Amino acid sequence: MKLEFDRVQAHGLVKVFGATRALAGVDVSFAAHSITALEGHNGSGKSTLLSLLALLARPTRGEIRFGQYDARNTPALRSRIGVLAHSAMVYPDLTAHENLALAAELYGLAANDSHVLGLTERFGLGGWANRPARTYSRGQLQRLSLARAVLHRPQLLLLDEPSTGLDVSSVERLVVAIQEERERGAIVVLVTHDRSLSDRLADSRIELRQGRLAEAKA
Amino acid sequence: MTLLRAAWLILRKDLQIELRTGEVVVTTALFATLVTVITSLSFYVDERSGQMVAPGVLWVAVAFAGVLAMSRSWTRERENDAFRGLLLSPAPRAAIYVGKTLGTLAFLGVVEAVLVLEVAVLFNLDLTKILLPLVGLLVLGTIGFAATGNLFAAMGVRTRARDMVLAVALFPVIAPALLCGVVATRELLGGAPAHEIWQWAQILLAFDVAFATTGVLLFEPLVCD
Repeated sequence: MKLEFDRVQAHGLVKVFGATRALAGVDVSFAAHSITALEGHNGSGKSTLLSLLALLARPTRGEIRFGQYDARNTPALRSRIGVLAHSAMVYPDLTAHENLALAAELYGLAANDSHVLGLTERFGLGGWANRPARTYSRGQLQRLSLARAVLHRPQLLLLDEPSTGLDVSSVERLVVAIQEERERGAIVVLVTHDRSLSDRLADSRIELRQGRLAEAKA
Repeated sequence: MTLLRAAWLILRKDLQIELRTGEVVVTTALFATLVTVITSLSFYVDERSGQMVAPGVLWVAVAFAGVLAMSRSWTRERENDAFRGLLLSPAPRAAIYVGKTLGTLAFLGVVEAVLVLEVAVLFNLDLTKILLPLVGLLVLGTIGFAATGNLFAAMGVRTRARDMVLAVALFPVIAPALLCGVVATRELLGGAPAHEIWQWAQILLAFDVAFATTGVLLFEPLVCD
């Protein structure tokens, strides 16, 4: 069963690590067909919020709802979330094709699905698709990571500094890819310090300061 | 996605990488060989001494090689934070544990095949008559060792002192199973009757069930915040 939702809402999110309160009561909502830029200084809680939204961690208090689904009781929601993180989350000894095939199968897709096979071309890795990821440049790894994040057509796409290491043409390709995800109906949350990227893409912005929501602008 | 299907995907990935690089099996087999050669030079005097020392050598080599294999196997998960990619997927998280444990069993199986041959040659033992029960004991001991070791290795995947955690925390927990394996092998080499060996095997089997069940149940809470 494919879990459908058009909104992700978090209420009173608190996340405590030992003596550190990374999030101190965050209420936020993200809608389909939109890109929200999540801003804030280092240590403001952006990565923690992404980690909670990605269901990698559980909030100390508060709840996250994906439409009608409560994140606490619906682990299958992970199949509807795509994440691009700081690290590439791929195996260096596998090729791009092999990494994407593994991810596809873990998400219940066929490894020879035409959509999956076409991702290396779409993200400009065609000539490198059969080389081990260990030989890739930082930008190529980032593109492979983005391909991995969108391969299962996620409904919630979480992007943490997606333009890191990309050259100008790769950034253009990234912009197009993110816009396509928005047009498809995805909920996109974009964390970036690249103001020009967020200016081009974001429909709204929210800012975190010391674990609290500081600002929400359309 | 079922747990078994996801575990197979993770096992297949580990085997694919190992066939390409060979680093886990080659390094652990070399290490185990070194342990066997050094101990044979130190302790082997005659057939009697060989029979007494060989069980300990065999299990010490398996234990040290096993720690090395698991450490290396989990290092692959840390590179590029690939482990996080597995956690993000909808695959049951216990499947990661099962897949990695099966991978360790496959790697150690190859190393143990080499090891048994080396022990037989270097300690001048005729293992042909007891090969089947010996393999049975090794399989049972290795399952418990891999089941426990992979749980500790997963716990340490995000800590800086991961290798120390694996080595220091694992051995006290796995010691009863290792001791059981050593004594059972000694009895086997000494010509003990089958029912006695079977009793030791049952203890090892109980360890395996307990460790594997604990691993499957605890893996997700231990690796997620």
